[in-house]
Amino acid sequence: MMSRLVKKSPSICTDLPLDDTDICTISSSQPLVNLIKTSILNHVSRFSDCGLFAAILCLDLIEQAKQSGLGGNVSVRLNKHLLSLCTSYLQREDCGCKVKLDFCSSQNLVTLARSIISSKPACVLTEQETLHISKLAVQAFLLTVPCDNPGTVTLGRTVTVPVEGQSVLNSAVFPGLLLDITDAFCLSKPENQNSNPLRVVLFSASLAGDLSELGDGIIEVHPGVDTDSQILDQLLELGKQAVKDEVQLFACQKVIHPVLQQYLRSQGIIVIERLGITLMEPLIQLTGVQPVATLHTALPAKAYGRVRDISVRQFGSKTMLHLHPAGESAVCTMVLCHRNETMLCELKVVCQKAENVLRLSLKEPSALLGGGCTETHLAAYIRHKTLHEVPESALGCSQTEYRLGVERFCHSLESVAAALEHNGGNSLIDLTHAHHWTLPADVTRGHMEDSLGFCGCGLVGSSPSNKWTYLNTKYTEFSPATLSRDTTVQPRVLDSFTAKLNALHVAVETANLALDVRYIIQDVN
Amino acid sequence: MQPVEHLHLKHVLQTVCVLEAVVLRSFGPEGGQVLFTRDTGQAMLSRSGTRILTALRLEHPLARMVVECVRKHSTVTGDGSKTFILLLASLLRMIHTMACKEPNVYHTYNSRAAAEAATARRLADELLAFALEELDDLIAVRVVPYGLCVSWKDITAKSQSPAYTNCHYAQKLLASFFHTRLGHTHCDFISNLTCELLRHWKFKNDLPSSTLQFVNDNFPALHTPVLGFPISCSRLIEGQVIHRDFATPCPQTDCQPVKAVVFTGYLQQKLLSAGNVLKVGRGGQEMEANSKKEKSIVEFSAWSERSLECVIANLQRLGVSVLLSAVKQTAAVLSLAAQAEMCVVECISKDELSLFAHLSGTTPVSDCWMIEPVNVATLTFCRPILLGVHRYVHVAFHDLEERVKPCSLVICGPGEGQTDQHACAFQDAIRMLLTTCRPMVHQPSSRVRWSQAVLYLLVGHLSFS
Repeated sequence: MMSRLVKKSPSICTDLPLDDTDICTISSSQPLVNLIKTSILNHVSRFSDCGLFAAILCLDLIEQAKQSGLGGNVSVRLNKHLLSLCTSYLQREDCGCKVKLDFCSSQNLVTLARSIISSKPACVLTEQETLHISKLAVQAFLLTVPCDNPGTVTLGRTVTVPVEGQSVLNSAVFPGLLLDITDAFCLSKPENQNSNPLRVVLFSASLAGDLSELGDGIIEVHPGVDTDSQILDQLLELGKQAVKDEVQLFACQKVIHPVLQQYLRSQGIIVIERLGITLMEPLIQLTGVQPVATLHTALPAKAYGRVRDISVRQFGSKTMLHLHPAGESAVCTMVLCHRNETMLCELKVVCQKAENVLRLSLKEPSALLGGGCTETHLAAYIRHKTLHEVPESALGCSQTEYRLGVERFCHSLESVAAALEHNGGNSLIDLTHAHHWTLPADVTRGHMEDSLGFCGCGLVGSSPSNKWTYLNTKYTEFSPATLSRDTTVQPRVLDSFTAKLNALHVAVETANLALDVRYIIQDVN
Repeated sequence: MQPVEHLHLKHVLQTVCVLEAVVLRSFGPEGGQVLFTRDTGQAMLSRSGTRILTALRLEHPLARMVVECVRKHSTVTGDGSKTFILLLASLLRMIHTMACKEPNVYHTYNSRAAAEAATARRLADELLAFALEELDDLIAVRVVPYGLCVSWKDITAKSQSPAYTNCHYAQKLLASFFHTRLGHTHCDFISNLTCELLRHWKFKNDLPSSTLQFVNDNFPALHTPVLGFPISCSRLIEGQVIHRDFATPCPQTDCQPVKAVVFTGYLQQKLLSAGNVLKVGRGGQEMEANSKKEKSIVEFSAWSERSLECVIANLQRLGVSVLLSAVKQTAAVLSLAAQAEMCVVECISKDELSLFAHLSGTTPVSDCWMIEPVNVATLTFCRPILLGVHRYVHVAFHDLEERVKPCSLVICGPGEGQTDQHACAFQDAIRMLLTTCRPMVHQPSSRVRWSQAVLYLLVGHLSFS
């Protein structure tokens, strides 16, 4: 019956309910994979971190739900209930896996940046290089936070300049803007001995001599008339006015007529053309300039901006003009160096992600313990909290089903923590604070206590009074103890609070969505 | 001649049963989603019968006809398309069973198939007659007494007020609708959000159906999908969200009120349209003998800039600080506007501009040389808003007494499939409420319309064979 319609219609319908086999072997169920992938990518585009955490958790929740034999609807309701338990715990002041970020010292911020940068291995960075880049990321972030303006604060911008072929340790951050100057020219040394700021003018229209905004019609020129030189004369008038007004930096988003360039340079003005649209906004923010697009009116005085100084910097074969801000500015430039182009691209992306996460921390100045400790801690908390709870009638399940659902949810959380271990080692949990520990595979049971150094996040050290158990074994429920606020011991690995919380939500919601799908129709046209 | 295919009753039944199988698993409160994917990777999630069937893009003429009926029904009512298919399949099955059992004996037919078809047609005619003549009365006597009356006040009243005991039912109606469309996890939250939205848009002294109609017509401009957040982050924000970013930096002024003008055309007029000819000469003051004084090209360009400056000066005189444009303005416009401390938003869609004009009570400027006070809108604020990864423009209107408190809906979801689904569910809910609130007097009920459609379909098709 089905096949007859299939021959006639362009779509192919699979008249089978969504099987366990379809879900457990995720790779074969292509549409579902795409659905999950889209959710994760959308989360990452906003929060820049914890994408892998969300993906693993989501897939594991789906697998656990199918294996548990609980009805799809029951699993969905239980997941939602347990998610709200997690969220309310994480948002409490006394949450055991939350760390308040201290903005008076840069250590937490550097740790946060370092956790992000070291979690993306495609940049191929050594330990020293990772630390250097993390410090630069925090430095750039702090430079973009303006200090002197009262009222609403607008964050500034970090412009990234990639330089290929140099060592990563040559990367640096500069306040102000670095502009590429293509020809080694022509920079008549500006003898700016006095401390007066240099005047800047910026054009957003083309100064090449084409009057494009006149229209699309035909222009009939009277014989003997040279329109090009008429236009050029007008451009030179602009140049003369710039000279009269003592402009020292003449910049244009588009092309400047070569004769005009020559004239300006002969008058000792630094000329920059072809800035491009991306550099316009940072330049405006830095100098306070108002871009001019009219060619026939006198340059208004308030269109001028200023910079404190201009200097030349060399990075390998690249020559750059450094514009120093006059007064405090929230624009800075990060020069990133790496050995080859691919790794450089990765590094650029990673630094942008780190900046995004640091900005998010301004809204919510907390971080969660990394290294799998938050996940194991949450799992232990949930197990303990729901131990004596009776499921509400709205959940529509029995006590046994409730306990089964809780067990599966916690198991998913723990397997995310276990997924951090890539070298075939074993994952353990300690029975006091519920932090995550890893043990190399070749260590025997007797030597266990000696080999465990610190937990995943670095806060808890191994001591004789601690007891551990392997992560997949059942342990008696206990309430995980919070650590004493000992400020001398700082966590080594931190995750962004907002990113992780959102990732948790997105993972559970996407898992619930996948569990709810009853039918997949693939259009193969 | 092309071979003619004979359509037998059992083919009709087969086709409809396949459609039934597709929508069956999404039916009802325990029903699940259908995930529809294309080769492009685009995914659509739905529980809505219309959306699922329309997305199939069937080629079979009979199937297409059924889907078209479903679509037309759903455009009016917003709900009930799966029920339609299930009823249709069930009726066809019954007719088929009965027709096979007792083919008509008192006419002679060439084949059993023809006899069955004739019986089926007769049964269909009888059903149609019943539906047209007796069904309405039957419903009025036997079904309506068990129903509930839902009125507009119920939908928009706040649930805490004890005086409106009926509002419980109205919100239950919405909650059940969302339960079947979006699943049980978020249905209560979303139905509360819908009620709140309708509460804000209640036009005083106006019929409730006009509010619902207004929200339905303007829904694309009234909502913003935001990706990457959980669904529970969906909320209402006051005013209107224009889905574009500022083209010039927004001046940080706190002074109120903010004045805005809508432009549908270019501020810097193109002097030369295609097909025209501009004659340029030497220009200047000299008059040559026997030649007309022609301006130089520079003078034309200068004139164009000066006229733009006049327009901007006029706007400044009127105290305007926000320019909303339907088209992309030239660089000169942006630069002069920025120098005059005005911010510009470009390429705004027509729907959003017409909504803006309606809410602010102004008309867009058609001719830049004539900007009058009736074109100037007064806003409480106009500032950037960050929703997800996009920056948009957020405006709020100076509220005047007889106007509503406009608000805009932010629909969050992990992916585009979910936000699409929610937006469609919202719109269908509004349509469903419209049908519910419409007075029932002198109008054939939608149930009768369904049955009519069903039976016309059958009668029409059985004449093929």
